[in-house]
Amino acid sequence: MPRVLIVDDHAFVRRGVQNILSAFLDWELCGEAGNAADGIRMIHALKPDVVLMDVSMPGMDGIQATREVRNADPQTKIVLITLHESVEVLRSGFRAGANGYLLKADAEEELIKALRIVVGNGSYISPKFDPHIVEQVLRDIQAPR
Amino acid sequence: MAAGSRPSPGANHGALRILIVDDHDILRRGLREILCAKPGWEVCAEARTGKEAVTLAEQLQPQVVVMDVSMPDLNGLEAARRIHKALPKTGILILTMHFSDQLVREVIECGARGYILKSDADRDLVAAVDCIANRRTFFTSRASEMLLAGQAAPTCHVEPTVPLRSRLTSREREIVQLLAEGKSSKEVAAALGISVKTAETHRANIMRKLEIHSVSELVRYAIKNQIIEA
Repeated sequence: MPRVLIVDDHAFVRRGVQNILSAFLDWELCGEAGNAADGIRMIHALKPDVVLMDVSMPGMDGIQATREVRNADPQTKIVLITLHESVEVLRSGFRAGANGYLLKADAEEELIKALRIVVGNGSYISPKFDPHIVEQVLRDIQAPR
Repeated sequence: MAAGSRPSPGANHGALRILIVDDHDILRRGLREILCAKPGWEVCAEARTGKEAVTLAEQLQPQVVVMDVSMPDLNGLEAARRIHKALPKTGILILTMHFSDQLVREVIECGARGYILKSDADRDLVAAVDCIANRRTFFTSRASEMLLAGQAAPTCHVEPTVPLRSRLTSREREIVQLLAEGKSSKEVAAALGISVKTAETHRANIMRKLEIHSVSELVRYAIKNQIIEA
């Protein structure tokens, strides 16, 4: 059963995610953190399969946290969850090692799909982004630097 | 419960009835989860926009409305103003991402009884709704200090940003938001069901009243006054 951990400073978002996951017997929410520093510690301790990581948090942001988690626990998949429909933030997220980018605007209907794709070793990007842009971002990330 | 939904028959009529308003489904789900866990509390409906909130509030007359400040088309403060005017007994709690002194003033002025941050804990939401349902206010400690110092009391001397905004009509404030969101006069007219000429007249009046001369100034004004988010 894949284990999920959420890092988001908005308690109501964490509660919403918990509520969605509680309806699916094949997912377990193993922990939650309200800031990046606590999140990183918890990820290291609990070793979840997937982390839902908010981008904008006070202190360390989710992109930096993603970088740190991918260095310390490279097997951990990370889905960024964010308000920002920005190609630049999307690009930064994937460059930092994120496996998915989920928008809060469609998180309710896309959450489980995002988690399934990422746990299956795929990359997930919200359907609100133009498919050509998505293709370009994924190509750029995979290109040798 | 889907947004814009009505209460089911056989709902608990003795319950504290709460309307929740936020344009993010996942956030409404979280709010609902927390509020419905409290015995005797019931989320009677959900709204995704400020306009939907005003319509549902008028129809259902909830005791409490929990409303996000930033929503497209009609923001939470403007919706709160309209709900308060129609239903002065309904307690309104504003949800916001950021604290600001300006916001405390705006919240009081629009008739809401308090606000909490989205980063506040679940228990703060419960405490806030409890206070507001019992006709008390709920503000964070910093906001409370401001109130005690008399800086945000409705009867006190107003500061420069307030008089400018207070010169705008409710319709004009609605149009400020649409223009600041990047809509053209034609799109504003279509959204509000008015003629393009009327939309342009409103736009000219707004610019004159606010003493601004460009759309970028209008956007800055809208961000500063919590009409849209940066």
